[in-house]
Amino acid sequence: MFEACKFVLKENFNNLFRIYSIAKYQVLADMRDSKLGLFWNFANPVIQCLTYWFVFGLVFDRRDVDGITYIWWMLGGMVCWFFISPCITDGCNAVFKRINIITKMKFPVSVLPATVIFSKLFDHFCLMIILTVLFAFGGYYPSWHWLGLVYYCFCAIVFTISLSMTTSVLNMLARDTRKLVLACMRLLLYMTPILWDIKRLPHVLQRIMLTNPVYYIVEGYRDCFFYHKGFMYYKYSMVTFWVITFVLFVFGSTMMYKFKAKFVDFI
Amino acid sequence: MDSNIAIEARHASKIYELKGKEKKDEGVKFYALKDLNFKVEKGEVVGILGTNGSGKSTMSIILAGICDPDEGEMIVNGSQALIAINTGLNQQLTGMENIELKGALLGLSKRRIDKIKQGVIDFAEIGDFLYQPVKKYSSGMKSRLGFSINLCLDPEIMIVDEALSVGDKGFAAKCLKKMKELRDEGKTIIFISHNLKQVRDFCDTAMWIEGGILREYGDIDEVCDRYAEYVDYYNGLSGKEKKKERDRKFAKRIIKNSKRSFFDKLFAAIKTR
Repeated sequence: MFEACKFVLKENFNNLFRIYSIAKYQVLADMRDSKLGLFWNFANPVIQCLTYWFVFGLVFDRRDVDGITYIWWMLGGMVCWFFISPCITDGCNAVFKRINIITKMKFPVSVLPATVIFSKLFDHFCLMIILTVLFAFGGYYPSWHWLGLVYYCFCAIVFTISLSMTTSVLNMLARDTRKLVLACMRLLLYMTPILWDIKRLPHVLQRIMLTNPVYYIVEGYRDCFFYHKGFMYYKYSMVTFWVITFVLFVFGSTMMYKFKAKFVDFI
Repeated sequence: MDSNIAIEARHASKIYELKGKEKKDEGVKFYALKDLNFKVEKGEVVGILGTNGSGKSTMSIILAGICDPDEGEMIVNGSQALIAINTGLNQQLTGMENIELKGALLGLSKRRIDKIKQGVIDFAEIGDFLYQPVKKYSSGMKSRLGFSINLCLDPEIMIVDEALSVGDKGFAAKCLKKMKELRDEGKTIIFISHNLKQVRDFCDTAMWIEGGILREYGDIDEVCDRYAEYVDYYNGLSGKEKKKERDRKFAKRIIKNSKRSFFDKLFAAIKTR
């Protein structure tokens, strides 16, 4: 088991340039696909944000959360969801999408989840730029608290890579995995307190919700933007987050290691 | 293991599963390769012959380390590379970008890619198309580009699977010339082709695989002669006899077995290590 983790970590760190190149050209190729290219990296999240804001902010007329206008509060969590969500759905497909490569050349398969996540990271940066501008309108200016975002972004990367490690291998065994993941994404969005405030739940459910790893990252992002309570305030969530991530990583890399020379048989 | 040996197969077999005609039918296991035993010396140039579906490509992916044999073992001593022409080329990117991408996919460092870039461009001879997206390329141009990148790699063992059958004669001749240079440098080359003339011209020894079984392995001319004889004999048969021959070969390769579910596959794979 530890041999597997060591193997996967080694393979990933030895192939950093490979990961970087694949991610870079993936982003480039996606941009070339459409006429407007880079524009869509910005426009897509903006349109989605407007939709949620229209439904929840205007139609349902949500009250302020913790003294923060609903739209800003929602955006603070949504920005992180817009990164995690495509990472999970595309990460699931990471190995399957590259099937023509892994069946035709000797290739370190375990780097594939990382390549997907790093190509999504580019979109995330684009969105962060828009968000900084938008927040300036709302009166939230960048401060040294925002440095915490680096840590939470790192958390999101590690978590999604660990998860994709597992799902992408399972997806090779049975393509149903991706269908299941896609179906569960909407569920995960509404189950995680991104669009609604956790304090609306009864106390017991709140405790359970704190174990949701996605919530830890979302709340972390919001902490950096608005609350400024620091890392230690979330220590309960932090411990469960890292435990879950570690378990996923160990499980995922064990699967990767077992199946690394068998993917050809599963097509 | 003897350091002069580049590749050694010990009772290596590869098994595929075939689905039944109907879903409820029992699946059968099928030997893509059955009990291979051979040794290839370093610096040897081996041609692999065989009719369609006899397991040549399976052999090439096992040799390239893409998958493991299900039974027995295949020991490869040294770095190996399978010449895969069109894989890893992205339609949207330009030729130049594709050189960088494919180089990275093959695991080259940035410095190495910069170094081979000019060589690839010169070899591919695609001119100004270098800065066009690959989707605008003709199929010949794509193969030229893909093949050139592969040839600029420097593996100890090279596996070439039907790579020369694309592109025009001029380019094929150029590739062959380049491969001869590599051969003279003492590289081990596994050359899979249907073109008997090329194989005779290029290889030292030949391996004839028929129906997943190693029929002959030895001196190039002898094996080629007998293979040609067999092909002539097979082509001379009437339609009915041909079918009989195929069925006979097929029957030798299958093993009856019940179909395995998803979880069986999972546990079997975990148990094997």
